[in-house]
Amino acid sequence: MRTSKKTVFLAVGLTLAIFVLPVAVLAGGNAENGKKVVDTKKLGNCAACHVVPGMEFPGDVGPNLIEAMKNYSEADREMLRQRISDERKFNPDTIMPPFGTNKILTGQQIDDVVEYLLSLNKKK
Amino acid sequence: MRRCFFLKKMVLMLAMGALAAGTGRGAFAAPASVSGIQEYKQNISTQEYEKRYNAVYGKFTGQMAEQGNPADFMLDDGKDLFKKVEGTTGKSCASCHGENGEKLKGVAAGYPKYDPAIKGINTMALQINRCRKENMGAPELKYESYDQLALELYVKSLSNGVPIKVSIDGPARPFYEAGKAYYYMRQGQLNMSCAICHVKYAGHMIRANLLSNNRHHADHWPGYRLKWGKTGSLQKRFRGCNKKVRAKPLPFQCDTYRDLELYLTYQANGLPVAVPGFRM
Ligand code: HEC
Ligand code: HEC
Repeated sequence: MRTSKKTVFLAVGLTLAIFVLPVAVLAGGNAENGKKVVDTKKLGNCAACHVVPGMEFPGDVGPNLIEAMKNYSEADREMLRQRISDERKFNPDTIMPPFGTNKILTGQQIDDVVEYLLSLNKKK
Repeated sequence: MRRCFFLKKMVLMLAMGALAAGTGRGAFAAPASVSGIQEYKQNISTQEYEKRYNAVYGKFTGQMAEQGNPADFMLDDGKDLFKKVEGTTGKSCASCHGENGEKLKGVAAGYPKYDPAIKGINTMALQINRCRKENMGAPELKYESYDQLALELYVKSLSNGVPIKVSIDGPARPFYEAGKAYYYMRQGQLNMSCAICHVKYAGHMIRANLLSNNRHHADHWPGYRLKWGKTGSLQKRFRGCNKKVRAKPLPFQCDTYRDLELYLTYQANGLPVAVPGFRM
């Protein structure tokens, strides 16, 4: 019986290695880092304009992100990435900084932010 | 005359954008031309802005009013400097403009203004230095230095209560347009224009700051600012806002900033001069 337990572990491990890890790498986001990026003044500083969880004195220039995220799902990952990277694609006269195009954030940081924003729908 | 070599490049860029758009090959959505900028409608009325200002900052402004404006001391020093003889001609400002500046009453309400001698916009700060150099034979004062601000403050205070009345007619017009073009130009890593914050989103909160309506920007500087812990000029504010969007601030009194000062002061036409200001 011990061997079969091992096999199960191995199988699970392999499955994880083959399927889950690459997906995680492709999606690439880390929600915890994303929260830091969102909250850090020199990085996202998103609360300057948006309501985001846990920040004092949020701005009201942009939509409340906790509310807005209810309209987004896993399927909108790429769309979210694009909006944060350069909102001008959606609204040429937007005030929102083009975080990706102007290299305010790296691609990795944007992925992290996307991951964090999507996670807002999960926790209740 | 101080140039920042910025205006020409910018006007050129805008003109090229207009050309490209005109021929249907515009790669970017630049404003149609220097004079054809689509201005935003001011988002918030002056009255409504003042109401919100009191709601947001009332607690502090009350304390500020009680403690008095620290810039008043600088104004007094400016009065003394006005009478101080300096330079090779043995004169003071008062020698030409009256012991208590009688001849300058109301004058600051018409500044900045076009001046053919410099083929550009003359500001009060610039004029003070021109007088020192040309009429007193005294060294120019460094912009934003204590003495420079003190003199500007005193001379402007001689117009306190007089409605601002700057002209943008005739030769002043292209400079006004250049100031407007700068005001509407996206700049810095954050890619914002002055107008997007102070016109389109005026009255909104950006973090803990209430975005001000630009109608009141030019009536009360130099002024004391708590955040600076000292008195500064309108152009110091320009530089601060430039830095905030991670753009390169321009030198004090360079041509672009003087054009910008004309543009903003024109927005304040009709409001009384009210120096020194006192802001958060
Ligand atoms: C200077 C203001 C400003 C900052 C800073 C800002 N935004 Fe925005 N954002 C806006 C505005 C305004 C909109 C509304 C749409 C538009 O103007 O294009 C918006 C829209 C959005 C949307 C779409 C919301 C919806 O209703 O679909 C998302 C998502 C978003 N922002 C995320 C972020 C994130 C994440 C950050 C920080 C990394 C950020 N924003 C920083 C102003 C800002
Ligand atoms: C990111 C938004 C933003 C941008 C872009 C911006 N400002 Fe500001 N500005 C502020 C904030 C916030 C304050 C402080 C609160 C207030 O008075 O609006 C301020 C204050 C000012 C003031 C002082 C207002 C007063 O009461 O005396 C002036 C003048 C000013 N800005 C001019 C400019 C000019 C000129 C530009 C472009 C070079 C500019 N701003 C760009 C956000 C901005």
